[in-house]
Amino acid sequence: MEIKNLSIEEITKLTKKGEVSVKEIAKQTLEYIKEKENTIRSFINIDEEKVLKDAEKLDGSEKKGKLFGVPVAIKDNMNLEGTETTAGSKILKGYISPYTATAVRKLIQEGALIIGKTNMDEFAMGSSTENSAFFKTHNPVNPEHVPGGSSGGSAAAVRAGEVTASLGSDTGGSIREPAAFCGVIGMKPTYGRVSRYGLIAFASSLDQIGPFARNVKDAAVMLEVIAGFDPNDETSVQRTDTDFTSLLEKEIKGKKIGLIKEVMDFDLQEEVKNSFEKTASALQKLGAEITEVSIPHLKYSLPAYYIIAPSEASANLSRFDGVRYGLLVEDKNLRETYEKTRTEGFGTEVKRRILIGTFALSAGYYDAYYLKASRVRRLIEKDFEKAFEKVDTLLTPTTAKTAFKIGEITNPLEMYMNDIFTIPVNLAGLPAISVPSGTDKKGLPIGMQLIGKWFEESELLQIAYAMEKEIGG
Amino acid sequence: MIDLKKYEKLAALNLSKEEKEKIEKDLEEIINYFEMLKEVNTEGVEPYVYTKGAKLFLRKDVPGKTLDKKALEKNRKLFDGKFYKVKKIMGD
Repeated sequence: MEIKNLSIEEITKLTKKGEVSVKEIAKQTLEYIKEKENTIRSFINIDEEKVLKDAEKLDGSEKKGKLFGVPVAIKDNMNLEGTETTAGSKILKGYISPYTATAVRKLIQEGALIIGKTNMDEFAMGSSTENSAFFKTHNPVNPEHVPGGSSGGSAAAVRAGEVTASLGSDTGGSIREPAAFCGVIGMKPTYGRVSRYGLIAFASSLDQIGPFARNVKDAAVMLEVIAGFDPNDETSVQRTDTDFTSLLEKEIKGKKIGLIKEVMDFDLQEEVKNSFEKTASALQKLGAEITEVSIPHLKYSLPAYYIIAPSEASANLSRFDGVRYGLLVEDKNLRETYEKTRTEGFGTEVKRRILIGTFALSAGYYDAYYLKASRVRRLIEKDFEKAFEKVDTLLTPTTAKTAFKIGEITNPLEMYMNDIFTIPVNLAGLPAISVPSGTDKKGLPIGMQLIGKWFEESELLQIAYAMEKEIGG
Repeated sequence: MIDLKKYEKLAALNLSKEEKEKIEKDLEEIINYFEMLKEVNTEGVEPYVYTKGAKLFLRKDVPGKTLDKKALEKNRKLFDGKFYKVKKIMGD
């Protein structure tokens, strides 16, 4: 039985009945990954021995859990006790996690088989996974193209069939953009829905862990597993409405879906535009009411984000000084040891963002940049509040264009523009999902983004499920 | 032109000449791009701090489990089981 194209439901049915052992799944998965990794390179680190041992342990256990025996990958910025966690950076090379992130622990509790750690842009800063300090990941659909980023490895691994599902983290689109580029489902939950404990912080007010999967139902199951209150994350919310699967198959007749009119102000690739229109009419056919709404501050979300995220990053990344973990380059005194370690350990994009953040937070500029951006962020939140008075969900393309070629974009601002439709969602703390919706002329996947109300993931997934069925991925 | 040296110092970085030239140019462009925010009237707007629905909470004041010291030791040769030993910070 070949498991690489099966869904979570199909796999767990087999494993729970004992028709396929988890060891068999582990072996198949590792073998297939070996074959695929020559071209894709999704993984930074796979400990084969551990995977096989974990599989044996699962086989010897009571066969239960929502993910029993399901091969899952995690982004390399999530701690898993006893394994190397690098966040795609040289500065963390050799760092062995002393504990496990809550989201990962929850996967394990439900019987998931953790296969390995996936490649990413260094500290999740990037939209193409080209900023990994180790190597580039290739888009499984066309290896000359980027898989998107920063969770490019997690998206590519799922698309290539290396794993059934994976976890990524999304600060400005780092789950949804690679999901769109690789043609898989990628979901960013409401801020606070999933614990960030054990996730290496980039921008703490924006970061959120979420799933990649090949279908909406699998993504819903994954979210159900990882969501929930965690006292170890002070921004974690105390809610118990974490059933994301019961409503999936309910019809969406009468749902109000808003199209953000400002989206059309941006330069959309022809096929993306067509797909957007096609998706809207498909939803209409399902009985949804389509209305136009406005997010007047949409275009300001990019500059606001590129002040807020680097500001938070400059503070978060100050902990990497060579003293407690990772790279250490000693010099004659402590100050110079810090400087040498950080200068050698961080890549160019990370340094660029640390410097932007340091500038935006510095005396004399704080009000004009950081505080101003935080006020604009409030206005963006209010725009969404207003839009959601009229509609249940919003629809936009996930990205304006399909995956670009490796090496094609070298200007940082041009790279940042990739996230124009995903960034506002993080600024407002909303949940959103990217669903595949056809391909362009070159066969590269197009993704559509549905944005839900705060904590309405259940409804969001319901609409995504209907949309997936209608437009057929 | 921003005084890059000042921010390097604040961020404990010491860029090479080539990297400095590249980053200086990028930073100019990026900071210019931020100027766009001046168009937005934010008078009387409260800065965004916490996400909707987020309620900060305090944990009960009871000691919990701490990380295993052995695991921490594995990560740093400067850790002697009790303290992190670093280079001197003052004088010569």
